Amino acid sequence: MRRFESPWMNPKLFCGAGLLLAIVALGIIGRLFWNLDLAYTGAAPLKLPPVGFENLRGQEGAWTYPIGTDGSGRDLLALIVIGAPNSLFVGLLASLIGMSLGIFLGFSAGFIGGRTDDIIRVLSDVMITIPPLLILVVVQSAWGDVSLTMMALLIAGFVWQSPTRLIRAQVLSMKQSGYVQMARLSGASTMHIMFREMLPNLVPYLFGSFIANVTTSIVTAVGLEVLGLGPQRIPTLGRTIYEAINAGALIQNLWWWWGIPTLLLGLMFIGLLLINLGLDEVSNPRLRKLQ
Amino acid sequence: MTIKTTVMLASSLALAAVGGVHAQDVAREDTVIFDLDRTIKDPGNFNWFTPGTKRMHGAHQAMWEPLFILNYGSGELDPWLATGYSQNEDSTEFTISLREGISWSDGEAFNADDVVFTVNMALNNEEISSREAATVRAQVAGVEAIDDLTVKFTLNASNPRFIVENFGVRIFGSFLIMPEHIWSGEDAATFANAEPIGTGPYTFTSAATNRAVWDRNDDWWGAKAGFMDLPEPKRLIWLESGGEESRAQLMATNQLDAAQNISVGTFEAIQAQNSAVIAWHEGYPYASADPCSRQLEINTTIAPWDDPDMRRAVNHIIDRTQIVNVAIEGATVPSRTMFVQYGSMAPFIDAAVAAGYELSATADVAAGQALIEAEGYAMGSDGIYEKDGVDLEVKIHVNSASTEYMRTIDVIVEQLNRAGIKASSVPVENGVFWGEVLPFGAYEMTYSWLSCGSVNEPWASMGRYTVKDVVPVGERSPGFNNTARWNSDAARNYSAIVDEMASRALGDPDVPGLVAEAYQYLHEEMPFIPLVQSAKLIPFNTTYWTGWPTSENYYNHPFFWWNHTHQIIHSLEKAGG
Repeated sequence: MRRFESPWMNPKLFCGAGLLLAIVALGIIGRLFWNLDLAYTGAAPLKLPPVGFENLRGQEGAWTYPIGTDGSGRDLLALIVIGAPNSLFVGLLASLIGMSLGIFLGFSAGFIGGRTDDIIRVLSDVMITIPPLLILVVVQSAWGDVSLTMMALLIAGFVWQSPTRLIRAQVLSMKQSGYVQMARLSGASTMHIMFREMLPNLVPYLFGSFIANVTTSIVTAVGLEVLGLGPQRIPTLGRTIYEAINAGALIQNLWWWWGIPTLLLGLMFIGLLLINLGLDEVSNPRLRKLQ
Repeated sequence: MTIKTTVMLASSLALAAVGGVHAQDVAREDTVIFDLDRTIKDPGNFNWFTPGTKRMHGAHQAMWEPLFILNYGSGELDPWLATGYSQNEDSTEFTISLREGISWSDGEAFNADDVVFTVNMALNNEEISSREAATVRAQVAGVEAIDDLTVKFTLNASNPRFIVENFGVRIFGSFLIMPEHIWSGEDAATFANAEPIGTGPYTFTSAATNRAVWDRNDDWWGAKAGFMDLPEPKRLIWLESGGEESRAQLMATNQLDAAQNISVGTFEAIQAQNSAVIAWHEGYPYASADPCSRQLEINTTIAPWDDPDMRRAVNHIIDRTQIVNVAIEGATVPSRTMFVQYGSMAPFIDAAVAAGYELSATADVAAGQALIEAEGYAMGSDGIYEKDGVDLEVKIHVNSASTEYMRTIDVIVEQLNRAGIKASSVPVENGVFWGEVLPFGAYEMTYSWLSCGSVNEPWASMGRYTVKDVVPVGERSPGFNNTARWNSDAARNYSAIVDEMASRALGDPDVPGLVAEAYQYLHEEMPFIPLVQSAKLIPFNTTYWTGWPTSENYYNHPFFWWNHTHQIIHSLEKAGG
């Protein structure tokens, strides 16, 4: 790597972003060229395998349903065209809300200090010890059918604590630095110092934290969906896996039913991991020097 | 090394703990393992008068015996604890003769006093709620012991079906006789009966929330009295298997001898792995016809579904053929009326069909939508009907215990949504479904089979929706009757005709006409919407045991959670021997 090349131009970041964009593109292009009505119960023949394979009954895959159909007559391609971006959407939305909360609370705690700090710190310390899945399982089973947005909101309630704590720590150390003191002396308002002076310096770090949060949120969302607690009629990758398990797809060797959504989730997580590693290099110059 | 030793020690301890569940070891080839599709919420309670899993975990298959068993193959009543009965001309008095030499597993004699005592318990205790007890309470005026082996019943009204209905295991259970020397002085509504005894060839060994174990009583009266030989299995286990996947894996690996209903594809997959697994028919569709046809039960007290036109709209929108093809993989047929499509029911089905009340096998969405629009709904931009800014919504409660239930409701939810009704399903656990949702009317719509009852006459099914069983939402429907709480003028007209039908003898030529007359009100108001016939694909494993009921070996039907399972257990033979 040449010395003055931007740290943003690194291959991990690119590969990761590429993978995620591919999934988003699948959603967009699929919506343009594929019949999405096939994603609903009874729209296609049951249990057809992907093209080139044969199922237990000896039926062969057909190009009308290129990657097969599930046990309720839903086309898997249509399912993932809708489902994959949905899973990503829940993760992004939950993380976005969680991060925004975290940034606001973290800065407030670190910069304002005093009582505000005490309250926010105790609150996030308590919340961080509660396993989110446990609470969400109870909440969602009581709630019944939830929408994607609602699910994202519920998850967001559990992903703000660690950014809050980390940002608070960063702000505490940054508060003592010269430019902040300078800004303070020149009479800038608290909000101005917090969000105009300090925030830009935290951007690479925030990005990293954001991506980590997206991963957590997707894992939580998929966990709930695989338990059958997500939205019912909106296809998601997790719910497809739940239905496959419930209908005996393993013993019937309907591997495409659970395998393809699992593979996509795997790709999504690898993409997120690569982006995270890439951002680490951006925000941590020491990692770059090693190369 | 130390770690290894610790691990070994820990695992042997764990094994010992698991092994300790069974008091003594019985070889696998002497054990029959049945599948249980629900959790035993209260494993220490054996009071069958109260709601919960108190019977189908082996208690009424192995321990408590019925007086008669209706043989679905021959249509006759097979005598069991009783040897026969007689009745007076207008079917208001019945005299049952009991078998000689019966004793309870603790050695006390079983006699007419036990029968009289148990029936009186049901008559005198308004709080006990099981379906069988509620039916006896509604029908019986008095009971007396003529001698040790003879019991005489006097009825409130003429009922030619009295014996088969109450003591004949027509559907699921029968009125079970309890030992007077144990129950005497106890409150039947609260007594736990934690150490149950029965007259059957097995006694209770242990139970937990996921299983119940029963061991053979080699001192059984039936063998001594020459009624029947001791059954071959030494131990019976009812095991909660979980969902379809685990059920299938257990079956394929011979860890289960009889499994609950599974789908056609799963059965074929099991057979591909384990050729010892059989079902009712050797070839497709493998399943046997269950007498309980499926239906969408509607709570007629909740708006907008309190309006018959809205319920009829739903009926138009439902495509029964698609349910058959998608949810049940073609293994059954759409229902034509509310009745099970057995040959013996043909006269009544034909009567309703001839009068123009046949259900459509396919959907007529436009007709359904027209009815909805006539109620003032308009289609919103999201494809969902709305009135005054409120979406037309419905939540459908469904028992999550079987793939069949869930998949059928998935299909219906999809059909309703496409037609503009924002439907969603609410899956609930088996115990909650039967214990809290259905009987108390805590639902808008549910997937059920509560019009079940008739197999050779129409009254048993039709009599379940009369107005006398209507209770307010929040109170328990007696015997799961009329959980739809159908109570309109039409329901009253219907009930009057059905009551008239009740006193008619089997084979009375006027009955089909009465069915058609009563059916018009059902068709008009649809308190429940019949969907499809029920096909049950029950896999049996012949690795350890043979002699399971099949269409070739039709000594009775294969539903091993019913009270008639005594016959199955007596028919089992060791595969090796």
